[in-house]
Amino acid sequence: MNRSGMDRREFLAATSATSAAFVLGFWVPPRTANAQVPPTGASWYEDPSTPEINAWIVIAPDDTVTIRIAQTELGQGVWTSNAMMVCEELQCDWTRVRPQYASANRDAREMAPEWTLNVMGNGGTDPNGGGEPGFGNRARTGVQGIPDSLYRRMRTNAASSVKDGRYYLQLAGAEARERLLLAAAEQWSVPAAELRAMDSVITHAATGRTTTYGAIAHLAAATPHPNPEAITIKPPDQWRLLGTEQKNLDVPMKVTGETIYAIDVRVPGMKWAAVKSCPVYGGDVRSYDFEAIRDRPGVRSAQQFPIPDPALTRGRVFSGGVAVIADTWYQAKTALDQMPIEWEIPQKQAAFNTANMHEALLAALDEPGRVRVDQGDFDAAFAGAAKVVEATYSTPYLPRARMEPGNATVLVTDDRVDIWIGDQSPQETRFSASQITGIPEQNVYLHMCHLGGGFGRNGNGPQAEQAIMIANANRGTPIHLLWTREEDFIGTTYRAMSVARLRAGLDADGWPIALDVRIGMQEGGFGPDASFNVTSRYHVPNYRFSTHTTDFHVPVGTRRGVGQAANEFYRESFIDELAHAAGRDPYLYRRELLARTNLPFKDDMIKALDMAAEMSGWGTPLPQGKARAIALEERGAEVEGSATISAMVHTVSVNREGVVRLERVDVAHDMGFGLINPLSVKKQIEGQITWFYNDAMHQACNIVDGRIDENNFHRFSLSRIDEDPPEINIRFFESGHWLIGMGHDRGTSVQSAIGDAVFQITGKRFRDLPFGTHDLSWG
Amino acid sequence: MAFVLTVNGASHSVDVDPQTPLLWVIRDQIGLTGTKFSCGIGQCGACTVHVDGQPTRSCTFRADMAAGKSITTIEGLSPDGNHPIQLAWKELDAPQCGYCQSGMIMSALALLSRNPNPSDADIDAEVTNACRCSSYHRVRKAIHLAADLMNAERGGSDE
Repeated sequence: MNRSGMDRREFLAATSATSAAFVLGFWVPPRTANAQVPPTGASWYEDPSTPEINAWIVIAPDDTVTIRIAQTELGQGVWTSNAMMVCEELQCDWTRVRPQYASANRDAREMAPEWTLNVMGNGGTDPNGGGEPGFGNRARTGVQGIPDSLYRRMRTNAASSVKDGRYYLQLAGAEARERLLLAAAEQWSVPAAELRAMDSVITHAATGRTTTYGAIAHLAAATPHPNPEAITIKPPDQWRLLGTEQKNLDVPMKVTGETIYAIDVRVPGMKWAAVKSCPVYGGDVRSYDFEAIRDRPGVRSAQQFPIPDPALTRGRVFSGGVAVIADTWYQAKTALDQMPIEWEIPQKQAAFNTANMHEALLAALDEPGRVRVDQGDFDAAFAGAAKVVEATYSTPYLPRARMEPGNATVLVTDDRVDIWIGDQSPQETRFSASQITGIPEQNVYLHMCHLGGGFGRNGNGPQAEQAIMIANANRGTPIHLLWTREEDFIGTTYRAMSVARLRAGLDADGWPIALDVRIGMQEGGFGPDASFNVTSRYHVPNYRFSTHTTDFHVPVGTRRGVGQAANEFYRESFIDELAHAAGRDPYLYRRELLARTNLPFKDDMIKALDMAAEMSGWGTPLPQGKARAIALEERGAEVEGSATISAMVHTVSVNREGVVRLERVDVAHDMGFGLINPLSVKKQIEGQITWFYNDAMHQACNIVDGRIDENNFHRFSLSRIDEDPPEINIRFFESGHWLIGMGHDRGTSVQSAIGDAVFQITGKRFRDLPFGTHDLSWG
Repeated sequence: MAFVLTVNGASHSVDVDPQTPLLWVIRDQIGLTGTKFSCGIGQCGACTVHVDGQPTRSCTFRADMAAGKSITTIEGLSPDGNHPIQLAWKELDAPQCGYCQSGMIMSALALLSRNPNPSDADIDAEVTNACRCSSYHRVRKAIHLAADLMNAERGGSDE
């Protein structure tokens, strides 16, 4: 099946590249000749002379191993960690591994092999098993991930790439290894059991014969596995590559500027589109005057587009807008800036402002809301409390603000769609393309690019949908849509603004006997119930938790940390406040309250607290103006199964002028049964500390007359290297479960920790993020 | 308007609106895409190049102002990706998504060209590029390592 039209010479050029020199590239439709982007790495390329072993693995005659990755590399290291999981079982030479994006198009046409559907073992606490992948319950809609399509879950979200992929990537490697051994055994007429495979070499010890994977791959490709359902995967105690620190395979190209992000894609005949959408969500274009700019250099046309169908953007209502299409993006953008546009702004949406929205959320907290947990004799407990503590907190709307502005290149012809994009949900984009153009998903080709930052944005729309609509109206011409930074602030989804009111009754010794937690967030916001919805985590015998919603117009979505980020700020801040009210040490207060629970992973949570405290020198004196604060981060630890647990101690200084510095972070982090690539885990922890530092100190988007007010980096601050903590110490501890993921909700502790350090140093307690908007001076 | 730009030692004749920012001429006319667009207002530094050795936010620098000057982009740092800064970046595995790294590296180059032994405070003052993934922790270590590598190189050639 040669679907690509790439010739054999090009293919060999691609596959003979060594791992350090692999090229992320693109296949270009034959009708657009003279491709300017290199054709290497076309993800669905299949060459009869170098057949794949299975859908994840191609081995070239020179032993280069191409491993297909169904998730998107956005800096989290998935190209490396996913390839490691395959390589561990394949036992190929890691230095000759070349990752390549799996084909979302092929995923639309092929089902997953039966042998990859069986998740062996006993769930998240079985070291010999497959863990707890989370895609099994999704429907085959193309929107939520597809449980039995070839690559299953072509989504990069919820810190789940390793958790969801591990067992079947290990299986894919194991299946290929066994077939390579079977092929060699057949060739040599010896039992396969007598063969050993290591670093791409197969050895028959008795006769001293050897061969390489590259030499035998074509035979293995034609050798079916007689019983693939019986294949097992290596438990962590047999890992050789997994668990070792491996540098990321794509880093060499990121220091030379060679990495092709979507913004760098150039295809022949391509025109650029700059767009403006109505800045008030739900608004549209009333009129525009293309004649005013028609004669500007390079300008080709203008193209109005409607509000993207909410069915394609998970129910979110963005805005209608207009594009100017020109030879270069700068021409398009400057012409668009000069083009008169009248907006149709809905009055209801234009009435929204941060202040009235905040008020509405606070008012919602006084309503009954939706009670999610109601444990114990709540009212009686409060009546008997020696002391009642109440606090109200808030967090603002927050965008992802990844560095690469939204963009996509789309070519629509009568029977085919090609999309060059960095995308966290290619199956969704494939579905959108099909819905917008009427061309079946089987004829939609996504050419995946590395993302210039992700953090949850892509697949939430509407960069792809806008580009597809514009290209669909300009069939035959590749259209490269690129947002300005200001447009990116309109086109993103936001983490919803939220408020929280926590009220606790304490006994005479200062221990909580009743806790009421109320979270207010707009309807449709993600994760209002996060991390409070099972238990209070810290022991309290009488616990009630409710969520309270209002109707706002801002399109909200899954931003790094999702609901945990804000809710952990609320919970951990409040625990600090209770500890202070009780006159107890916040670390030991937490420790005691965990010890009183019967949560399945309470020992691991206590271990994390103890380790972080010990690492930080907790309790040793600090100079005036410095303080330590501790908090726990966990997901899944209230129920049996997979979980991720960490604790951090943050040492913070605040000078008399109120300048905050995160001086040192001590991290005790769960490694479960084993980390895949500890180096990537460390980098992710370092990154998340700063991510949540920004949330704590700097970042907020306000709503003014229905529109997002802060829309570029002069007003939406990104911290720089001078605010990076000088010292980050990370230690891992073993535990008896698989991790639930660690790429998005670690480091949330920075928020409560800065708040409590500010309180310890200045005596002032602030409960509304970001702290940078408050007067933190003292003395 | 037509003028000549010297980029990474090569002369390019370009014909653009003279107000076009240097960034877009480098990316679209000259075809070097390692230099990135992000904010468009000179804030984040993803577009940092050198103009006569000065680190410059190219998204707000008029292309015609660079005529007759020597422009260096990430592609001009080394022929093989083995400039000491690049070696240090690889050793520390500094980039995450990598989008800001071309500009980050060009800022580090400017710092190290003027100051072979930068302190942490020097790094804080001179490297003002934004990184959303926060590669900062490794970038700082990589700058110190690059300084050591460059000093060793200089020491070697002096002897």
